[in-house]
This record gives sequence, C-alpha cells and structure tokens, in this order.
Amino acid sequence: MAVLKLYGISKSYQEGANTVNALQQADLEVQAGELIAIIGPSGSGKSTLLSIAGALLKPSEGQVMINGINLATLTEKELAKFRLREIGFILQTSNLIPYLKIVDQLILVKKMSGKVSKDDRDFASRLLTDLGLADKLKKMPHELSGGERQRVAIARAFMNNSNLILADEPTASLDSKRAIEVVELLSQEAKKRGKAAVMVTHDERMLPLCDHVYRMEDGILTKQS
Amino acid sequence: MFLAWNELKHAKLRYGMMTMIIILIAWLVFILSGLGNGLSTLSAATLKNFDAQYAVYEETAGSKFTKSMLSEELIEEIKQQKGVDNVAAFGSSTISVGKTKSKDAADKEDVALIGLEPDTYIMPKIIEGKSISTANKKGVVINDTLKKAGYKIGDTLLVSNATLELTVVGFVKNETFNHLPSAFVVMDTWRDYQFAAPGSDNGIKKPVQTFFLQGEDLDTASLDHSITGVETVTKKEAINGMPGYTAENGTIMMMLAFCIVISAFIIAVFFYVITMQKTQQFGVMKAIGASNGFIGRAIVSQVILLSVFGIGIGVLLTYVTAMILPENMPFSLDPTLVTIYALVLLVIALLSSIISVRQIVKIDPLTALGRVE
Repeated sequence: MAVLKLYGISKSYQEGANTVNALQQADLEVQAGELIAIIGPSGSGKSTLLSIAGALLKPSEGQVMINGINLATLTEKELAKFRLREIGFILQTSNLIPYLKIVDQLILVKKMSGKVSKDDRDFASRLLTDLGLADKLKKMPHELSGGERQRVAIARAFMNNSNLILADEPTASLDSKRAIEVVELLSQEAKKRGKAAVMVTHDERMLPLCDHVYRMEDGILTKQS
Repeated sequence: MFLAWNELKHAKLRYGMMTMIIILIAWLVFILSGLGNGLSTLSAATLKNFDAQYAVYEETAGSKFTKSMLSEELIEEIKQQKGVDNVAAFGSSTISVGKTKSKDAADKEDVALIGLEPDTYIMPKIIEGKSISTANKKGVVINDTLKKAGYKIGDTLLVSNATLELTVVGFVKNETFNHLPSAFVVMDTWRDYQFAAPGSDNGIKKPVQTFFLQGEDLDTASLDHSITGVETVTKKEAINGMPGYTAENGTIMMMLAFCIVISAFIIAVFFYVITMQKTQQFGVMKAIGASNGFIGRAIVSQVILLSVFGIGIGVLLTYVTAMILPENMPFSLDPTLVTIYALVLLVIALLSSIISVRQIVKIDPLTALGRVE
C-alpha cells in the first residue's frame, strides 16, 4: 500500500522579476516498509519536495496524498494536527529541545495531542531501548553524542506511530560510521513497524541501505534504482 | 506547564534574574501602596472612621474645615430634610499640648483638637479609660500613639498659647487628623479654644465647622436649596478637601502607575526576546505538529509561574519591611490593597506576554528544515 503519493508536483517561487522553478512535475510513491532516498546537489529542490510531502509547504501544482488523504482539502489548523498524527519528522542533529530529558523529548510529542498515558511512557522507553539508548533515558541532549542525538530524533519520529517518516539530512553532522548506523536503524525500524520512510541526503554512502533511490537535479526528480 | 517548568529548571540563571526583577518591582509597588495608605490614614483617619455619608459646610468654604463656620442651631433644620437619618456637628483646630509650662518644643506634642457632642454617632470608640461628657468639660480622649510620648490617663494637658487645660480621661485607636494624633473634646470646650478672641465667632451663635450626615441617596442640591448658606458634599469629597490629601495620594498613585507600566514593559520585552531566540526551537515543535495554542500555553504558564512566585516573594518582603520600618513612619499595609495590586501586577504580566504569543503564530514550521546543503 502506498503511504505517500505525489502526482505532478511543481513548485515555483517568485524571486524579483524571475520565476524560479524549484520543482517540476515530480511524481513519487512510497510503500509501507520502504526506505527511499532522494539525493541531489544543493539547491536542487529536494528539501522543497520534503517540505511539500511533510505538509509544511503547499505545491503550486499537483496533488499530495498521505494515507489516501488529499492534503489540499485540509485547513491550516487541520494540517498541524495531521502532521502530528500522520507524519514523523527526523530533523537535523541539533533539533532536540535543549531543556528536556531524552525520554521527555518523546513524551512531548504525546503532550502535544493531549494526555500522556502509562502506555505512552512504556512505548517511549521501548523505542529508545530498541535504538540502543536504554541507559540515556534521563540524560539531557547536550550529554549525548551526535549519533545518539540523531537516534533520539528517530525515536521521536516513531513516537506517534505515524505511517510516514520524513528525514531531512539525518546524517548531516555525523562521521560515516555513525551515519551508516543511524540510517541502518532508520531502515530497520521502518521495516519492522511497516512505515514508509523518505530520506533526503547528499551522502552517496547511504544509498546501498535504501530500497529505492531518486535523484533530484534542477527540480527534476528521476528514479535511479 | 510541562515545557514551561522544565525550561525554568534548565535556565535557572536567566529566569532567576527575571524573577528577581518581578520581586523588586512588586516589592516597590507594595511599599508604595503601604506608604500611600499610611499617609492617607494619617491625614484623614478620623474622618474615614466616621460612619457618615455626607458633610455640610458653609457655602463659601469650598469643603475646607478651616474656612467653614456654621451655627450648631442649624442641626434641627438639617434633621428635617428628606433622606437625613442622623446629624453630628464637628469642629477642628491644631494645637500644641504639654504636661508642663515648658516652652521647649521637645516637651510638647502637636495634636488635632476635635470638638464634637459626645453622644453623637461620630464619637469614636474608647479603648481605654472613659469617654468625654458634658458633665466634665475639661476631659479629653487622645489617640493611643501619644502613650509613647508618655501621656496617660489623669495627665493634665496645658494647651500652648491659651488658658485651656485638659485632663486625659481615655484613649482611642487609629484616630489621626491632618497628620496629627486626634484629641477629642466636647464641642463647648473646642469653642472656648477656637473662639477665645472676642468677636472671632463673627456673631454666629454656637459656631461649629461642619455637620456630618448619615443618610442614603441624599439629594444634596435640594438640601443646599432649602437651607441658606450651606453646601453639602459627599464624605469622599470632604476627605479630598483635607490639606495635602489629594497631593499626597496623587504623588503615590503616579509612582505606582509608573511602576506598573515599567513592569509591563520589562516583562513584555524579556519574553519577547526569549521567544525570538527560540524561533528555531518553536519551528521544530510546529513541524512535529505542535499547535500555536500548545506553545502559547507554555509561554503563558511560564509568565504565570514567574509572576506568582515573584509577587508572592514581594508580598513577603513587604511585610518583613513593615516590621523593620520605624514605627513613626506612616506605613500601613491594607491586605485588600495588597491583594488588588498583586492581581493588577499579575494581569499586567499576562497581558504583556500576549505580544510573545502573537509572535509564535508568525513562526513558520519550515524554519525547522534548516539547510545545511
């Protein structure tokens, strides 16, 4: 089943008198249990594509379907709720909340949607344990290494049990050993939990770990493998 | 609350300094309110204690006791007026008293001599000794603050620059007039002092300064109309007419207002700057799916936590200050006023946090996808 479907997505910006086409007619389908990578040089439009898939940016043309829901039909407020429920974001390393303990980083996601139950707390500990952070639950983000922090970010993305995981340069500030570890974990978790995961990266070393690779160049998305 | 509390714990220095500012401002506000209350008590406690609603002055007096002179015989006429339940005559002078004939200022006390009829409703409650009566015209009851100057029941008071001699028969509490302790005597005795010089009563029979009226919803205009030569004002206006009363209160109120406005700006600016610093962080939360309300509540609960804590400590410090201040300082804390100012400060703090909350709405979750490309 396709969790994420993009049809004919275009995005153009007005920059002074010029129109910049960041994306042109991009099509993409991601199935549950798959990890796909979008690779391309700086400014090629891959972050724009991820923002559109993540309901953070509206496309100029085309349709975004997540779990069969057309995003164009949702209001701004519904979109925030939708992101919370249906999409897990993995952002760059520094994007944990600096004053929350590791386990609370995950609890926060639950707080956003209301009450936190005992089950939620157990689920958070289990997720973190799965990702090898069992002894770091009570630590603050600054006490963790870059790789550990990124694993927390992965756990946070899975916290709401959303079907779509979007990762924005998850390995940006990691050395290759840790980078490979993080992407392997992401891939494993996606398979184990049946989630669709999309990773934007410019790191070629990660590609063997992905089910499909798309290349983005000058706003045009092409499937590589 | 979850975010708010965790962040306060994390950034103790930053929020500690902010709390310190709130404490200091609250402290200053409460001290000013205590001073204002103390001053206005000193200025007009005796009037405030009267269970009266209106005061009748001579028409040309402009609500000033010293400029007003009326005949006590008007009392019957005033009683006849519609809406008047009770009337009491009043007269006041400033005198110096001493226990000996010494001319040395240190041996004398300035007091406000108040003349009234002992059986009227404006006669204050005696806390020690007995009340004045027409049978003993030389009797006087004085405010208990004079005990500290060594006065006690049975003492003879020699009134400076007059032949009048008074005997202390009792004490009253919290009675001050014109910033001086009050001394109550029967009307005839007051008259003997005030109009000692022949002809100083302008030929008015049994002169008094003012009448205090009890009565609800009195039609002052019709009263002024039916009795010639009088002006009726509310008790509040009479108090405002006390020398220096409005000036003192105005000064204190102005300082209070500035304090409160300054606190509003400090709190607003502090939280605005902090919110701006955390734009990226809030962007991340929004990308994950936090609503504006979720983040807004975190900021508002931080403001509430800091303010309640700061104001609470401010109240404590104020009461500690009150204990340390010298006793003759006109400082009196009114718990109602303290509560009101505490609430005003809290509301102001909350209102000023709205600027930051508005800022959150503007944060675009897209900022979370920072580009390292």
